[in-house]
Amino acid sequence: MQSKLTDIELIQRTLKGEQQAYALLVKTYQRYVFTLALRFTKNREDAEEVAQDSFIKVYKALSSFKQESKFSTWLYTVVYTTAMTSLRKRDKATVALDDDDNFIQVADAASTWDTNTAENRSRSFYLSRAITQLPADDATVLTLFYHAEQSLEEIALIMGIETNGVKIKLFRARRRLKEQLERDLKHEVKELI
Amino acid sequence: MNNMEEQLWSYIDGTCSEEERIAIAALIEKDESWKNAFNNIVAVDADISALTLDEPPMAFSYNVMEGIRAHEASKPLKTSVNNYIISSIAGFLILSIIALLLLTFANASQTTHNIATNVHLPDLSAFTDSGVVKVLFYFDTMLLLFLADSFFRRKRTDDVGKSV
Repeated sequence: MQSKLTDIELIQRTLKGEQQAYALLVKTYQRYVFTLALRFTKNREDAEEVAQDSFIKVYKALSSFKQESKFSTWLYTVVYTTAMTSLRKRDKATVALDDDDNFIQVADAASTWDTNTAENRSRSFYLSRAITQLPADDATVLTLFYHAEQSLEEIALIMGIETNGVKIKLFRARRRLKEQLERDLKHEVKELI
Repeated sequence: MNNMEEQLWSYIDGTCSEEERIAIAALIEKDESWKNAFNNIVAVDADISALTLDEPPMAFSYNVMEGIRAHEASKPLKTSVNNYIISSIAGFLILSIIALLLLTFANASQTTHNIATNVHLPDLSAFTDSGVVKVLFYFDTMLLLFLADSFFRRKRTDDVGKSV
């Protein structure tokens, strides 16, 4: 019976005071929101924090949702701005540490690369790895377009740019992903030889 | 930018015009390099689509709802009080005041009339001053509030039950 309720119905019930209805919305979108946050933060702990903050912000502002766009588009806009703010804060607070963090992440990735078993090294594994190595904006555009089922116009609304800009970003993101994947696979072939 | 690649992506996404779509379809059909590039792009597109979403931790939704409960608990009382209850109390008080005023005016005019005609009306003060009446009135009010409370509680439980 729950699955028959639309987002709008769940929002209306939430506004009437039913927190259970909002829990359903959280369950529906938690994977999308978490993945989107992860594209920015590049680590699970920060992504969890951004995703939680986003859901709480949306709950607080639910009465101001005018239904001019899909609920998901509105939700992803909040996730996008929350992630951007979080990144800016982190960059300001730990400029020097960030470099070390990046270095550690690269080193960790390299060690994971060496220790992975052969069965894990499927094409999807390399793709998942490649997407995490893309710049945040590229990874976000790809996630919104392919997984969150957002149109170019909706992505433009979320990211606050023109639709043509989204089109160019999407094209570049795909090309970068393809190049990254080819680099990774070449590395793998060399390793095997 | 690679013009061919860009055009092929527009073709796959369906963002090109009808004329462009026909022209690109013809190129894929006739030109081997376009056909190979198209097949490569379709493969990449399928790969990206097949990527799975990341799973948040098990307690994620619970943590979100805990955060919301904490937010609700920290709200000031005046924002969580139902407006209908406030309106009902206000309405009740206004009606009581109006009734009391009407009663006072009626008594006043009756008094002046009594002076003029010397007609004696039955004395109701024994009833209104009686402690029994006051207890009865208090009991009725409490009963009314209790019934209203149980009615709204039942209504809310029914609504929650329907959503599950």
